[in-house]
Amino acid sequence: MSQIHWETAWFYVFALLACGFALAVVFASSIVRMAFYLVLCLASTAGLFFLAGADFVGAMQLMIYVGGTLVLLIFGVMLTSQAQFVKMRTGSGELLIAFAIGAALFALLAGVAMNVPEWRSAEGAISASTPPHTATPLAMGLLGARVDRPLAPDAAGYLLVFEIVSVHLLVVLVGAAYLARAKRRRISHD
Amino acid sequence: MAEFFNYLLDCGAYALSGGRWSVAPDNLFGVVVTALVQVIILLHVIAVGALIFIWLERKVAGRIQDRLGPTRVGGKFGWLQTLADGIKLITKEDLMPAGADGFLFKAAPYVSMAAALAAYFALPFAGSPLPFVAQQLNVAAFFIVAVLGLEVFGVILAGYSSASKWALFGSMREAAQVVSYEVPLGLCAVVPVMLAGSMDLVVVGDTQRGLFTNWYLFHDPFTFVVFWVYFTCGTASVNRAPFDLAEAESELVAGFHTEYSGLRWSFFFMAEYGSMFTVSMLAAILFLGGWHGPLPVTEWLGMQADGWLEYSTSPGIAAYLCNLIGMTNVVLKAGLLVTVMMWARWTLPRLRIDQVMTTCLKYCTPIAAVMFVGAAVWQAALPRGLMLRTPLANIAASEPWQRGAEPVVQTSGIAVDKEAR
Amino acid sequence: MPATIDDPRIIEFDVRTEEMLVNMGPQHPSTHGVLRLVLRTDGEIVSEVTPHIGYLHRCAEKIGENLTPRQWIPYTDRMDYLAGMNMNLGWSLCVEKLLKYELPERGRHLRVIIAELGRMASHLVGMGAYGLDLGTFSPFLYAFRERERILDLFEEACGARLTYSYLTVGGATADLPHGWTDKCLAFLDQFEPVIAEYHTLLTTNAIFVKRTAKIGILSPEMAIDYGCSGPVTRGSGIDFDLRRDGEPIYTSMYEGYQFEVICERNGHYPNDHAYPAVPREAVLGDCWHRFYVRMLEVVQSIGLIRQAIENYHRSSGSHGEPIKLNQKLPKGEAYLETEAPRGQMGFGIVSRGEAIPWRVRARSSSFSNLAVCPELCRGCLIADVPAVVGSLDVVMGEIDR
Repeated sequence: MSQIHWETAWFYVFALLACGFALAVVFASSIVRMAFYLVLCLASTAGLFFLAGADFVGAMQLMIYVGGTLVLLIFGVMLTSQAQFVKMRTGSGELLIAFAIGAALFALLAGVAMNVPEWRSAEGAISASTPPHTATPLAMGLLGARVDRPLAPDAAGYLLVFEIVSVHLLVVLVGAAYLARAKRRRISHD
Repeated sequence: MAEFFNYLLDCGAYALSGGRWSVAPDNLFGVVVTALVQVIILLHVIAVGALIFIWLERKVAGRIQDRLGPTRVGGKFGWLQTLADGIKLITKEDLMPAGADGFLFKAAPYVSMAAALAAYFALPFAGSPLPFVAQQLNVAAFFIVAVLGLEVFGVILAGYSSASKWALFGSMREAAQVVSYEVPLGLCAVVPVMLAGSMDLVVVGDTQRGLFTNWYLFHDPFTFVVFWVYFTCGTASVNRAPFDLAEAESELVAGFHTEYSGLRWSFFFMAEYGSMFTVSMLAAILFLGGWHGPLPVTEWLGMQADGWLEYSTSPGIAAYLCNLIGMTNVVLKAGLLVTVMMWARWTLPRLRIDQVMTTCLKYCTPIAAVMFVGAAVWQAALPRGLMLRTPLANIAASEPWQRGAEPVVQTSGIAVDKEAR
Repeated sequence: MPATIDDPRIIEFDVRTEEMLVNMGPQHPSTHGVLRLVLRTDGEIVSEVTPHIGYLHRCAEKIGENLTPRQWIPYTDRMDYLAGMNMNLGWSLCVEKLLKYELPERGRHLRVIIAELGRMASHLVGMGAYGLDLGTFSPFLYAFRERERILDLFEEACGARLTYSYLTVGGATADLPHGWTDKCLAFLDQFEPVIAEYHTLLTTNAIFVKRTAKIGILSPEMAIDYGCSGPVTRGSGIDFDLRRDGEPIYTSMYEGYQFEVICERNGHYPNDHAYPAVPREAVLGDCWHRFYVRMLEVVQSIGLIRQAIENYHRSSGSHGEPIKLNQKLPKGEAYLETEAPRGQMGFGIVSRGEAIPWRVRARSSSFSNLAVCPELCRGCLIADVPAVVGSLDVVMGEIDR
C-alpha cells in the first residue's frame, strides 16, 4: 500500500472550506451572515496554518481576526443598525470591480507561489509542512534579533515594522477615543 | 497512538492475507481513528463534566441556601438529576421566534459548543513523558486563550438572530465584556509562561514539579497576586456571577438565550460549563502545579519517568500510573476552582455593566501589567523564586537556536531541514 | 438626578447609536408581578421610563360597594397580598372609625402583634426580592425561610397562609391559640441574631453597595411632591410614621409602646451602633437607604411584638368580637390611613345608613411610590431600573386593586 500524504488531503479539505466560505461571504446579503461566513473562512485558514505547523500564527489568526475584529464588527452592526436585520445589495458595477481586483490579486499570489522552488516538487511540499515547532524566532525577529539566522549576526530584524504597526494602532485607538467621546451640549433651553 | 491503531490494522491485514499485506505506520487509518477516539473522549469530558458540574452546582447552591438540592433521582444524592433534566430538554419543543434569522439562530449554539470543545484539544491532563493531551501544541497556552474568546461569537449570533431586544442586549454586553477581559486574562496567563520559558502547557506544568512550593502561585509575591487577577478575569470571561451580565435574569430576562429552548439551550449550557472547566484547568496548570500534587508522592515512590520504579518495572506502566494520579490531581484542582466559582455565584450580587468594565480596565489590566513587570524583574534577580525552588534544568525548554549547533536553514520563511531528510 | 451617569439629554456623542424602545414586563422576572415599564434606551443608558399599570385590576373597590364591610375583608387581603394582615387592619379600623367602635384592650395588643408580624413578613420578602433584583439568589431563600415561620404562626392563628381575613371589623375572627405567643417569642429569639447575617450578605456587601449607593436618589422634596410614603420617604430622611403621627384611632393602638421611627437624623439612624454603619458612597434618599430603613424597621417590629405579647397577657377583656355580617352602618363617611409596610394605606367609606356602603375607596401607597420611578430612572443604566423599582418595593395587587 503506497503511502498517502494525508496532510495533503487535509490541506484540500481546509482549502475548500476556506474558499467556499469566502464565496459565501461574497454572495450573502445580510451583514451578520457575511461576518459569520468570514469567521468560518478565517477559521479554516487558521486550520491551514495549524496544518503547516505554524501553531502560533494559527492561534494568532483565531484570536485577532475571529475573536477580535469580527466580534467588534458585529458589535458595531448591532449598535448602529436601524432595522433588525441589515441587508446589503451589491451593485453589478461593484461586483465587476471587486472581481477585477480579486482576479489581479489571485494572479499575483499564484505567480509568487509558483516561483518558490521548494514548492514545485512534492517532496519540497512535504518538508515545508514540518518546520521546527517554535514561535520564538518569530517573536525574537519582531524584536530585532534574528535568532533563526545565527550565522548572519547582522541580519536585519523587523523591529521598525513592528514599531510602526504599534504606533499606527495607538493612533487608531486615540482616534477612536476622540470620536466616541462624550461632549456636553452647549446650551439647551427646553 | 496512531501507530498503535495502524499496528492493529497491520496485524489484521497480515493475518487475513497470510503475510502478504502490510500497513505503513503512518497510514491515514490510524490518524483518523486516533482523532475520533480523542474527539469522543473530549466530548465526553465536556458533556459528562457538565452533567457532574450542574449536579454539583445544585448541591452547592442547595447547601449554601440551607436546603438539600436534588435528592430523589438516582439514589440518595440525586446523582442522576441532571441526566433526567437532559432527557426532559431533549423532549422539549425546539422553538424559534417568527422574526428570527433561522440559519444563524440554529447555528449559534453549535458555534459556542465547538469553541468550547476546541480549547480541550490543547489542554493537557498529565505531563511528560507521555502527556495526556490530544494535540501537544507548543503554543497551547496562547491557543486556549484565543479559542476561549471564540465562544462569544456563538453568543453574539444567538443574541442577534433571536429578533429579541433582551437577547440583543445580552449579546452586546457579552461582546463588550469578553473582548475586554481577554486582555488582562492574556496578561495574567503570560506570567507563568514567562517563568517557564515556554507556552507549551506540558512544559509549564512540568517545571512546577516537586513540593507545592514549586507552584508558580508561590513563586513570588507578584505571581500570587496574578493568580487572583487571573481567576477574576477567568470568571468574567466565562460569564459567571458576579459577571454574568449576558444572562442577567433580573434585567434581561435570560439575556442571549431568552428565545432558546430544549437541546439548543442546553448546548449553551454545556459550552458554559465546558469553558468554566477550561479556565479552571488553565489556572491549575499555570499556577497550581498542574498534575503535580502538593507533595511529590509519586516522585518518592519513583514512579516518574526517570524514577527507579519506572526503571525497574516494564517500561511505561509506572509512568502511566503516575500520569493517572496526575490527572486526578489536576482535575481535582480545577474542580475546586469551579466550586469556588459556584460559591461566588450563590453569594454575591451581580455587578453592573459599567462596573464590570471598570473592574477590567481600571483594576485588572493595570494590576496584571504591573505584576507582569514585577514577576519579570523578580525572575531576573531571583530565578529560584521566593521558596528557593529546586532548579529543573532538564525540563526547561531549549530552543533550537539556543543550542547554537546546526542552524535551521531558512528559505523564504519556511524551514527545510536537509539533514533530516 | 443619579450621580453616576450624566443626563443623556445634555450629553452628545459624535457617534450616535440607535435608540430602542424596550418593554420590561408585564412578563419579566424583576417587575414584581405584572408591572410594565416601557424603557427608551440608548445602548445601556435609559433615557425614559414609563410605567404602565392595570394588569391586575380586579374592581376591588366596586365589589366593596356591593358587600358589607366584613364581607369585603377577603378582598383587602388580595390588595397587598404580601401584607394581607395590614390590609385587613386598615379597612377594619376605617369601618370602626365610622362605627365609633371601642376595641377591647386585649384585642388592641393582639392587633399590634399581628400587624407587626405582617410588616416583618412583608419586609422580608422586600429584602429577599431586592437581592434577587440585584442578581443574588441566596438571600431570597433565607428571607423566605424566616417568612415561612411567620406564615406558620399566621396559619396557626387563622388557618390561612396568604389571604388571612383574620383581623376584621370589631377585632379578630378568633383569639390567639393557646401557646401561640410562646412559639412567636421563640421565633423572635431565633430570628433576631440572624439579621446580622443579612447585613453581611447584602447591606455591607461591596457589590451590593456599588449597585445601590447613589442610585435612584429621591430628594425629600420630591418624595413629598409625589406623595410617597412609608420606607420610601423615611429613606429620604423624612421623619414621618403614621404609627406615631397618624389619627388618634390608629395611634391609640400603639399607645404605651416604645418604638422609634426609622430615619436618618443628624447623620445617624436610631440604634445604628448595633448595625453596620452607612457606607461612605451612600447618599440620603438612594436605594441603599431605602433598603436599610426596611432592615431596621424589622428590628423595631421585633421589639414591638415583644412588648405587645407582654401587654397581651397582662390585659383583660376579649380579643374583640367581630360585628355582625349585616350590621347597619351609620350614615356618614370615614377615611383613615394606616402605616402599612409599604406606606400610607388609606381606606375610605361612605355610608347612607345601610349595611352595604355606598362608596368604598382605597388609597394605595405603592401607586404613589411607583410614580417617582420615571424621575429616579432617568439617565440610569438598564441594570439600575430593577434596582430602583425593587427599592420602591411595590406590589401590583395594591396599585391596580
